[in-house]
Amino acid sequence: MPTITFLPSYRKITVDPGNTILDAIQRAQIQMNVVCGGQGKCGKCIVFIKGGTVEFDREKFGKFFTADELGQGACLACQAVVRDDLHVMIPESSLIQQQKILMESLGIETAFQPSVWKYYVVLSPPTLEDPSPDLTRLVWGVQKQGGPLAEKMYAPLDVLRGMPRVLRDSGWRVTATLALVPGGYRIIDLEKGDTRPGLYGVAIDLGTTTVVASIRSLVDGHVVGIASNYNRQISCGEDILSRVNFARKNGLPKLQALAAESINLAITSAANGAGIDLEDIYEVVVAGNTIMTHILLGIDPAYMIEEPYVPVVRRYLTTSAPRLGIEVAKNASVFLFPAVSDFIGGDIIADILASGMGERDEISLLVDIGTNFEVVLGNRDWMFSCAGAAGPALEGGEVLFGMRANPGAIERITIDPVTLESEFQTINSIKPVGICGSGLIDLLADLLRACVVDRTGRINTGIVHPRIRQGTHYPEYVIAWKSESGNNKDIVITENDIKNLIMSKASVLAACITLMKEAGITRTELSTIYFSGAFGNYIHKENAIMIGLIPEVPIEQIKNIGNGAVEGANMALINRKKRKTLDEIAKNIAYIELNAEPSFMDEYTGSSFLPHTDLSLFPGVQKMLDECRLKKSPLGVP
Amino acid sequence: MAEKSPDMGGKIGYVLLGATKAEGGTRSVSYHPGGETDLPFTGMKAWEGSVPLVAFEICDDPGYWSPIVTSYTGDLVSDTPEWARTAEKQYGADLVRLYLTSTKRRGFDDFPSITKVMEGVLSGTGLPLVVEGSNEPAIDSEVFQRCGEAGQGERLLLGTAEAGRYRSVAAAAMAYNHSVVAQSPIDINLAKQLNILLREIGLKADHMMIDPYTGSLGYGFEYSYSVMERIRYAALKGDTDLAMPMITSATDSLSVKEVRDAGPAVRDDIAVAWEFYAALSSAVAGSSIVCVRHPKTVPLLKQAFRELWAGKMPGEA
Amino acid sequence: MALKALDIYKLLPKKNCKECGDPTCLTFAMKLASGKGDVEKCPYLDLNAKNILGASTRPPIQLVKIGVGERRFAVGEEFVVFRHEKTFYHPPGIMFQVSDLWPAETIESVTRRVGSEHFVRVGTDLTFSGVAITNESGDPDVFAKAVGVVEATGTHIPEVLMASDPAVQEEGLKKCGNFRPLIYSATRDTYKPMCALARKFGSPLVVTAKDPQTLGEMTKLCNAEGITDLLLDLSFPSLRDYLPAATEIRQKSISRSAPELGYPIFLDTTRYQMQDTALVLGIDKYAGVIVTPALPPASSVAALTLRQNIYTDPQKPIQMNPGIYPVGTPGKDSPVLLTVNFSLTYFTVQGYLESSRVPCYMFIVDTEGLSVLTAVAAGKLNETLVRDSIKKFDLENLVSHRRLIIPGYASPLSGKIEDETGWKVQVGPRDAAELGDYLVKEWKI
Repeated sequence: MPTITFLPSYRKITVDPGNTILDAIQRAQIQMNVVCGGQGKCGKCIVFIKGGTVEFDREKFGKFFTADELGQGACLACQAVVRDDLHVMIPESSLIQQQKILMESLGIETAFQPSVWKYYVVLSPPTLEDPSPDLTRLVWGVQKQGGPLAEKMYAPLDVLRGMPRVLRDSGWRVTATLALVPGGYRIIDLEKGDTRPGLYGVAIDLGTTTVVASIRSLVDGHVVGIASNYNRQISCGEDILSRVNFARKNGLPKLQALAAESINLAITSAANGAGIDLEDIYEVVVAGNTIMTHILLGIDPAYMIEEPYVPVVRRYLTTSAPRLGIEVAKNASVFLFPAVSDFIGGDIIADILASGMGERDEISLLVDIGTNFEVVLGNRDWMFSCAGAAGPALEGGEVLFGMRANPGAIERITIDPVTLESEFQTINSIKPVGICGSGLIDLLADLLRACVVDRTGRINTGIVHPRIRQGTHYPEYVIAWKSESGNNKDIVITENDIKNLIMSKASVLAACITLMKEAGITRTELSTIYFSGAFGNYIHKENAIMIGLIPEVPIEQIKNIGNGAVEGANMALINRKKRKTLDEIAKNIAYIELNAEPSFMDEYTGSSFLPHTDLSLFPGVQKMLDECRLKKSPLGVP
Repeated sequence: MAEKSPDMGGKIGYVLLGATKAEGGTRSVSYHPGGETDLPFTGMKAWEGSVPLVAFEICDDPGYWSPIVTSYTGDLVSDTPEWARTAEKQYGADLVRLYLTSTKRRGFDDFPSITKVMEGVLSGTGLPLVVEGSNEPAIDSEVFQRCGEAGQGERLLLGTAEAGRYRSVAAAAMAYNHSVVAQSPIDINLAKQLNILLREIGLKADHMMIDPYTGSLGYGFEYSYSVMERIRYAALKGDTDLAMPMITSATDSLSVKEVRDAGPAVRDDIAVAWEFYAALSSAVAGSSIVCVRHPKTVPLLKQAFRELWAGKMPGEA
Repeated sequence: MALKALDIYKLLPKKNCKECGDPTCLTFAMKLASGKGDVEKCPYLDLNAKNILGASTRPPIQLVKIGVGERRFAVGEEFVVFRHEKTFYHPPGIMFQVSDLWPAETIESVTRRVGSEHFVRVGTDLTFSGVAITNESGDPDVFAKAVGVVEATGTHIPEVLMASDPAVQEEGLKKCGNFRPLIYSATRDTYKPMCALARKFGSPLVVTAKDPQTLGEMTKLCNAEGITDLLLDLSFPSLRDYLPAATEIRQKSISRSAPELGYPIFLDTTRYQMQDTALVLGIDKYAGVIVTPALPPASSVAALTLRQNIYTDPQKPIQMNPGIYPVGTPGKDSPVLLTVNFSLTYFTVQGYLESSRVPCYMFIVDTEGLSVLTAVAAGKLNETLVRDSIKKFDLENLVSHRRLIIPGYASPLSGKIEDETGWKVQVGPRDAAELGDYLVKEWKI
């Protein structure tokens, strides 16, 4: 069998001939960036063959490489077939890097009402005079410690099996863990001695891209550890559709296992960081989109992506951790958030819970932006929701120098309206290699302010300035010169990039306006706009309004709830009463299918303008732009 | 008479087309389409608006023109100034719309010829002109500059500005005080966006006419009809970014299957019917200038407007 | 004005009882707002709420059926003033006029023409709707005979009996009254006997007056006689008066500010010199029944096409069935041109291809009716769709080459399509008008 040696780590692995290099990389558990799921379409999994030969069609995939790169043995890992021993160099740019993820708390207070408890009891050993059974002795002891009524408690078989040993070995000093279940309290664990501080729960955001675990003490409700990692399903396809397609081709068991593995990794790293035993985690709460939730449960998601788009289950579910492969205390239960539709999942219900919008009379708008976006409008009485594809532009995809929020990404940028020179700041303050979502929004807003682009995003090539030039295919603006960049290239934004950005932002804004029109709400009636998701935390709110990503409201009315999914899951973890309200919240949200809404296309076209065709919706922006324009000559030619 | 809807407080702005001697030009007549405060042909104060005008379309290279027109018209089409004169004197058009089709030739660079054609047509007819320049970004600037210059003082309507290329035509219009045809592809939002773009580079609202793009009857006309109604209604409700008069031309009318395939005996009549039904409906939907290419369509439309119009007709004292 | 879902929701009991069949009151309200729900399904509505909701869902213009059998048609039951607000539902009946003074064979030939003439456009059969028999003789027997001639053709097309004298009208009705002809017309002087005839024969009735206000008074009088299937005659002396009156009636009936005007409009173009003009106005603006002289062939298709255009649902682009459409008689080495299934695109491209005289295949893929530009932008036109469509329609066996011409606006997809399908992609022009030129110059096998 061929042996492959990966450079620069010199990690070795053997595979059967006929496998691709990507197969080998995945076997070696190296996290490679595979956007297209290994179809040879995205050109991201570039590796260099440093020794040995592979089968690879250089002509077919040549467009992904420069001549220089081809000379160095470049090929796509997913399309290169292994026949013999190889030395393969994996450049850093092909690896998934640790993403910057925000984990701040909401500053909302919620009652601490957990659903698992620990009771330390010191029991008197049985005697001839008092021969009551072990279980009776235990439950009476717990009741005496302030626990529930003895007759409400019961123990599952595996706890009963271990009970005589634990009681006697401990000298009748034990800690019982109780969980509230329908009809009573289940003793889910029995430990020797006093282990009361070792009582934790974990809230999970199971995202398509990222998994976040937040561990809380269920003794006092405080966060003790938090960690995140990429969803390991990424190796089966970047976006949710390719995951479902993977599942269709008998891939569901693998995806389910990867979902559990991703959760386990996040829990383990959070637990390690806090010095907690996994066996002390007695409850898991998971908020994920509808498809991720189905996959974690091992339920076929296929029928959700074809008409009539039906999920198997929508209400909340409880099951046990071992059945899903989640490695925590063995009798721990897993609570999964309910969904509204195939597109509005538990993550959005968690957002709503975290924002508190469903508990107020005032009307709020909640926007969760990723590759897909979800929008919810409403108050305690009613809610409308919709979802759509924003396209990857807002996350840096489909943009020539777009990238995720990784080190070297330009995350803040300003353009001097007079000199048209740029000033930027990168993540980790290293030389720039690309630009991420928040940077793109800043850039577009400032290009508009400086009249470099018109309201349709077209670059005014009449402006004579070294930064404005005709690129290979489109006009472009130079953000950073080769001399100052970290990849030895001029970093530019092209007119086509801007078009993609505008299409993305137009989808989001059109969705917001469609919901508002459906409800008959104007922007002045909005009390708050919530941004959920990492995206919202890094962007300049003014610039988001400037380009018309969201309706114009006073800046102070825009709030970030951070990772709403994990925050909502946290609330459900520490406050069991909240869980009961979730099905009601979910049921009361009306879902509006944008594609079936005849006016949506109209709204979309109206929104494909900076900030919007109806300028009266953006009076503040209009005023600001008029002021900017006053300083410019009419045709934009200095 | 219909009561005006209470939500209609807007008014379509005026655009001045053509300049008589007194107005600094050489035209025998000038128009000011616009001014409507109610739906077409309905209002209490119909005299506030203007009767729709009929423009006859000609070109300077008939190789790009419909064979139906060229065979009906004969040699005249190769004499552009004479063709323009005939449109006025014989067909009875209100305006002449000149397409500089010669610029479509590959590698066109004979810019002086544009000035010549312009001068010829200006002397051939005393009617105000609509001039359609090139359709190729590389030569736009030079072509529009020539058109604008040749028509200085004549208050032309210059076309066509689109969202992707509007600067050259707007620059020429602003330099020589002409107006601009702003064309967008059958969409009220795109029409409004283009008007805003033009406004933001300094073109005044009273120098723009909206061309919402007109599909020919049976080939998308219904979309155009509704977009015109929407534009007009939005303007009447007070949207000033849409309150410009509209110019429409179902230019594909003569190349649709029904007309093309018609037998020689009825071909002209079918062509005229196809143009007439679309043009009259466009006026009903709010168009201020309707453009046609078949000579026989012009008098029919003129007669129809005379029948429907309560106020004065063009040229009437 | 239609109520918003949220306004309706506020009137509902908010019990989420599911008795209406909907999961929540909010979804029920959304259904009602879109006109798909039935107010009666909610058992907990109070009378006040029912009145508000009932009023907003009952059609503001009476539905009137004319004729019987296959060719009968219905007009009225419209909900909007502008078609872009929703759609117009019932296209006007266009009736060819015949006179009872004409020779029988002329009447017969016009009738037979209406009975058999039809044009197919966009997969729909277009026909004229019926005949209007005018009593110009003033003689009841001559009128009855003319009606008899129409009846004898056996075409079963709907009729308008245009005789203002009730006695003459009755003679005509005796010949065809069981086929629900439209009675023209009742005036203030004749409405009682005319209503009696309408009652007797179950026919709809046109009322005639000189202005909308009087028409409203007349409909009330006829209602009192038990007749509600009415049309309003707007054939005023001057054509100039038509649009203002028709617009006023439509606005007031839709807004329900004058329910007595909530009936379809009748327009007799034979009164005017400019009959084509009158016909266009009637089709564009609100006529339910239009009487016109038999149209010459040149304007027949134009008139029917305009009617089809105006009565197309503006929110639903007409879509073509995806598939392969030959232009001319193409062979194994003929070009294949890909485009979308938006009908406007299809017909435009087809038109130019036909005139190019280059035999070829049009390869129509399903972009859900979006145009090329929108389909590319929305990602509906993509390489997988092309690949799957090639397979589905067996394009590989249809032609021997592997070259595909795509629309100019789809050029960003050319590489992806090549990768996905293995076909060589040629980017065509953006403007369909240039297709002929393009094929001649750029297509070489």
